[in-house]
Amino acid sequence: MTPEDILKLPSMPAAAPSYPLGPYRFINREFMIVTYETDPVALRAAVPEPLEPNADNLVLYEWIRMPDSSGFGDYTESGIVIPCTYQGEPINYTAQMYLDDEPPISAGREIWGFPKKYALPKLVVASDTLTGTLSYAGQTVAMGTMAYKWQESPGGCEAQAKSMTNTSCNLKIIPDVDGSPKICQLVAYNLEDVTVKGSWVSPARLQLIPHVNAPVADLPILRIVGGKHFISDLTLPHGRVLFDYIKDAAG
Amino acid sequence: MNKQDVLKLSSMPLQSPTYPVGPYKFFERQYMIINYRTDPAMIRQMLPEPLEPDGDVVSVQWLDLPDGEGFGAYSAVAQAIPCTLGGERCTFLTQMYVDNCPPLAGGREIWGYPMKYGIAKLDTVGDTLTGVLTYAGQTVASGTMVYKHGSPTDPAAIEALLKRTQVTLKLIPDIDGSPAIAQLVGTTFADVVVKGAWTGRARVELIDSVNCPLADLPVLEHTGGLHLVTDMTLPYGRVLHDYLG
Repeated sequence: MTPEDILKLPSMPAAAPSYPLGPYRFINREFMIVTYETDPVALRAAVPEPLEPNADNLVLYEWIRMPDSSGFGDYTESGIVIPCTYQGEPINYTAQMYLDDEPPISAGREIWGFPKKYALPKLVVASDTLTGTLSYAGQTVAMGTMAYKWQESPGGCEAQAKSMTNTSCNLKIIPDVDGSPKICQLVAYNLEDVTVKGSWVSPARLQLIPHVNAPVADLPILRIVGGKHFISDLTLPHGRVLFDYIKDAAG
Repeated sequence: MNKQDVLKLSSMPLQSPTYPVGPYKFFERQYMIINYRTDPAMIRQMLPEPLEPDGDVVSVQWLDLPDGEGFGAYSAVAQAIPCTLGGERCTFLTQMYVDNCPPLAGGREIWGYPMKYGIAKLDTVGDTLTGVLTYAGQTVASGTMVYKHGSPTDPAAIEALLKRTQVTLKLIPDIDGSPAIAQLVGTTFADVVVKGAWTGRARVELIDSVNCPLADLPVLEHTGGLHLVTDMTLPYGRVLHDYLG
């Protein structure tokens, strides 16, 4: 294998790359998001500077069912998103993500710095209840429930699609081979070509169980705001560096 | 979290880093190494330049790792190609499969170990040391070795084999999709203690699978097995070659 061939590889291993080059298209991607209010001190500790958590202390706990994802296949994800601001502009910071498929874990971590770990999330319609569960290392750590297609969301599919193209960001950390930080950045991206096929709101409940390696309960639930359920097609493109901690520390 | 603390994080995510800072000590690390002769043209195709092939005998290895600091208990399969770099004998790891996220993410992100998620098992079943690898629900490799039949003629050679530099091709994309890291990385195990070593007949079956293509290095002739129980420390590595200059 020549150096030219090596530089064209999208990912490791060279013998069978985990993921192809992007962008990545998702068809029939189904979301259940439970919004809740948490403790401001815990929230501040979970959000890296220079991001600022919002004053309303809201957290989004998500389940995402992805049956058809280019390069990645069929998988499910669960995790925590924190609405913040960066230099006064709204931005969604992804704090934790758990999923059951290696290529999107590796691609997510290595390209965008999505904070992904391997676990077993499920999102199913169980009788009258849209039900999300998350199992980590054999233990249930989260359960979310929503009434099923209770009421169309305000503004319908169009408003939902528009909100999904807002900027999101992650903290990307990749060590160097000697253990020192090689990449330490806030990276931003915006979803593209978003079509929403249905969008609903309903009452919701969320139970989070303390676990050291899947600490979803570290942001405690003070009050449930409500649930949102929507189905969409969308594209995840590459992104851009918002803030570089190594350059900042070097002055 | 303030910016100084962000720079001290060992890994993502901020709230619960996937792996701690190294080095990583392993206890009772058990290997079943099945050596076989393969097609030299395929070796040449799989070895990244400037590595050079060192013979045509490669191996598929099952590892049982019951006690890895920071990582826990897990199992792995690796395919290894003997090679040379600047005249030094090394081992290039071309494919690895593990069933545990912290060593998978840490392996890829620190050293560039070519790890994907697969379910490896290494068990003693009756009279047979037995390794199986399942990828995406399908059995893709099975290996068998006679149980503790022979002793190595040269115990020093076993330790030298375990201390031989492992070479990996570390590739990490930048956020725009261009390569951020493209390096050959060298890693040498430290504090190697061989607690048991046995030789004997072995067989391996590799099944064609697109996302787990161990069978791309075909089995032409079995050349024997090696069964080891060790304690050893995985330290950080060093850059042997940087493709980005």
